[in-house]
Amino acid sequence: MSASRSANAVITNAFGNNAAFTCRTLNLDIPVIDIGTFPADPVAANSLQGIKRQQTNPKRWNEPVWGEFVLALRVSDVEIIEQKFVSGTFATDAGGTAYGMPHGVVIAKDAAQISTLLQAAQQYKVPVTVRGGGLTTEGESVAFGGVLLDMTGMSRVLKIDAENLSVRTQAGIFWHSLAEALRRQNLDYLSAPLNMTSSVGGTLGVGGIDVNSARLGCSADQAIALQVVTPTGEIVECSDSENSELFQRVILGYGQFGVITEATLKVRPYTPLAMHYFYYTSLSEAIADLQMLDANDVSDYSGILTMMDKVVNLLVAFDSDQRETAFKTDWLHRLRGHGEFGIALKMALYYAVHPWRWREALFLRERKNTLFPEFRRPEHMRNGKVVDRTVVFSRAVWKHWGSRQMVIPDLATSPEKFIDTVQKANLVCKKYFPHYTLYCVGIKLRADHAPHYEMSCIPPDAVTHAYGCEFEPMMGDLNADAMYSRDTLQSFKNEIYDIGVAVGASYYRFGGMMKGYIRRVFGDAVVDKHLAMKRKADPNMILNRDVIF
Amino acid sequence: MNAKRNYSACSGCSLCLLSCPVWRSTHDIRLTPHGRAKAMQHGASANDLRESVESCTLCGACEPACPENIDLLGMVSGLRASSPLFKRRVEVGMDGVLPAPTDEISTPTILLIDHALAENPALLESIIQHFGGSLAIGVARDSGFDISHDLCDGIAIDEERLANFLSPLKTTLRVIVADGHLQHALKTWLPGVTVVSLGEALSTLPQVRQQLRDSDFYVIESVAFHRDHARLISHYDNLRLTIGCTMNLDLQRMAIPTTASARHSGKVNVDDQVRWILEGRQPSRIVVEDVADIAAFGRVTDTPVVHLANLI
Repeated sequence: MSASRSANAVITNAFGNNAAFTCRTLNLDIPVIDIGTFPADPVAANSLQGIKRQQTNPKRWNEPVWGEFVLALRVSDVEIIEQKFVSGTFATDAGGTAYGMPHGVVIAKDAAQISTLLQAAQQYKVPVTVRGGGLTTEGESVAFGGVLLDMTGMSRVLKIDAENLSVRTQAGIFWHSLAEALRRQNLDYLSAPLNMTSSVGGTLGVGGIDVNSARLGCSADQAIALQVVTPTGEIVECSDSENSELFQRVILGYGQFGVITEATLKVRPYTPLAMHYFYYTSLSEAIADLQMLDANDVSDYSGILTMMDKVVNLLVAFDSDQRETAFKTDWLHRLRGHGEFGIALKMALYYAVHPWRWREALFLRERKNTLFPEFRRPEHMRNGKVVDRTVVFSRAVWKHWGSRQMVIPDLATSPEKFIDTVQKANLVCKKYFPHYTLYCVGIKLRADHAPHYEMSCIPPDAVTHAYGCEFEPMMGDLNADAMYSRDTLQSFKNEIYDIGVAVGASYYRFGGMMKGYIRRVFGDAVVDKHLAMKRKADPNMILNRDVIF
Repeated sequence: MNAKRNYSACSGCSLCLLSCPVWRSTHDIRLTPHGRAKAMQHGASANDLRESVESCTLCGACEPACPENIDLLGMVSGLRASSPLFKRRVEVGMDGVLPAPTDEISTPTILLIDHALAENPALLESIIQHFGGSLAIGVARDSGFDISHDLCDGIAIDEERLANFLSPLKTTLRVIVADGHLQHALKTWLPGVTVVSLGEALSTLPQVRQQLRDSDFYVIESVAFHRDHARLISHYDNLRLTIGCTMNLDLQRMAIPTTASARHSGKVNVDDQVRWILEGRQPSRIVVEDVADIAAFGRVTDTPVVHLANLI
């Protein structure tokens, strides 16, 4: 509607009277809406009659067959723990907004035990939910009845092949425990989430992003081979060359097509990191610089971590002095970010002319004073280099971001769409929360792994790289006066995900409470294809039921 | 430092598992601080957690790792306190194994020995010499073994017994303590007196540091270290940088314990723990702070094992 046009509208108000008026606008672009007739009172007691209540968490499975199932397992020597306080240990995940109680817990011992469990589960149609570190945020690793399979029981490193740079490990192991074993041989994993208690199996099932993913890809792409127990209980070894179809489905498959019990992973020689931080006040500039570095393979590690959108930190790090020197010579001058002194000066000037934002300034100062020393703890530094990046980041994340409730909606797009998408999502985040953090990172893709990426966090239009961003509002203890209802959190997530749907993005966390978005994101054809495969592989849909299907 | 919190604050992050020797040995979450805290959040009683509580070695590696600042050791001793299994008592520590070299009140420093040191008089003599001989340091007649035991098991300590134990210690300037649990408690009980662990005290001495080599593997006593982790991490990091030696520190900078001197139900195998500590390491010598670790390493490796006080 043109701003210079006048408009007439007739409305019927709540009292049933018609009122005609003319709205004459000059320079304002006010759309004229034919409001029509008001519906019945939308908040009246009877307004929801006939409307099915939408359930975010799945209905709890609760069938009388449980007793027979437990008996069958015990006959087969599979220990199932039914004490409430043990089930309660797994009642929620890192998100802390989805709660569910399994009927019993099985601590994983080996593939044969899991095979027995899944065969019995198929026979008695009992759902089995698999859990590694429990770091999901949408209830994906929460069992709403049935069995909770605790994979951390399988946490042993089986063989380190230093010559061929690979490791065979049980898949319930935390990445940190794997790193402990590898470091003794002066080795390291390629890429893993910056969280010490992510499990290998869980990560391979969903992706796994590190600050070196722009160079080395996601964690799932470093798997060479897997031992998988299928939903019907077969124990199968798979890789790109052996049972490749199963390998394609299990990698990034959200636990739908089997339980990963062992994994062979690529490893690399361990190196400490030379870290550089650049500070921006413009999100788009920082992202553009990040993408410039990634596109030209300038650094070994890169990523963005922000304090709201006021101070945007571009992290750039190097494994070798040679690459660091090349960066300083050829690329440093092209970055638009400031050093610590520069950003402090810029922020001081900003708040000097915006004195009414003093609370925000105090928050940023307090955050800086708390966080910066954490990233430079002397016991984790040697000769100016960071020696344990995951420990440093993960401890800081748990200590300074973690709370009893977390929502971390994310978006993954092709490089071309990324800046625009992040800016839109940032506005949403800002609208809901005064304090939040944004994390952005690039992900190198493997052309030969395109089949792995179908219906995953990798967006379908990304070719060589994808970019991911996630938003983490600060809640709970970190911000005691900012407690939010589940409705608010859900609305926030929906609004972020709506942006993703509009731009054709994908998501890391599309399961659990967010699974309503799956068909909107991937389309019916892709989802139905995967659902058909799932039904074939898991006739009674017992494995990780309700996570995505 | 914020006040310690209780089990209710556990968010289930699992960071406590990463340095827990019982977790490493069993991979059973029920036997970990995380498992105990979560179980208690869901109504578990002390009796429900009996196996878990008995398995804990009280090495303390979990506490500095906890981002929620939960009193995880207090949680174990609290559970032990409410369990009838932990009501037994050891004999009062007026052990009489060794006569005190000097009158306790007259020395500026008093040494509180542990069981292992009580059984090794030669090593004890070496320690005394390091600290200036019997005129400078006295060995307490009352080592407080029973008090340490009660602290671990959450048993209320008799007031009169405690007063008698502390009485000679209050008049000294410094107390050096071989038992990490006792050392931690003494820091609260003896305001105005410097209370340090035997490991820290010895490793601060210039003549001891001079004898350390870059090819040594240095084994920190875990209880005292974790109880004062924020301060001691700098001390040991500095030692490691100065000497160039390797240490029994994991990637979180917690001290991997042998558990040789710990009382627990045996879920952790000391030999396996020592093998893990040495995996991928080939030191020319192993230097230990805890006397019990001499035998523990000696069973598993041919590499010479020596106590910090016997380097010279």
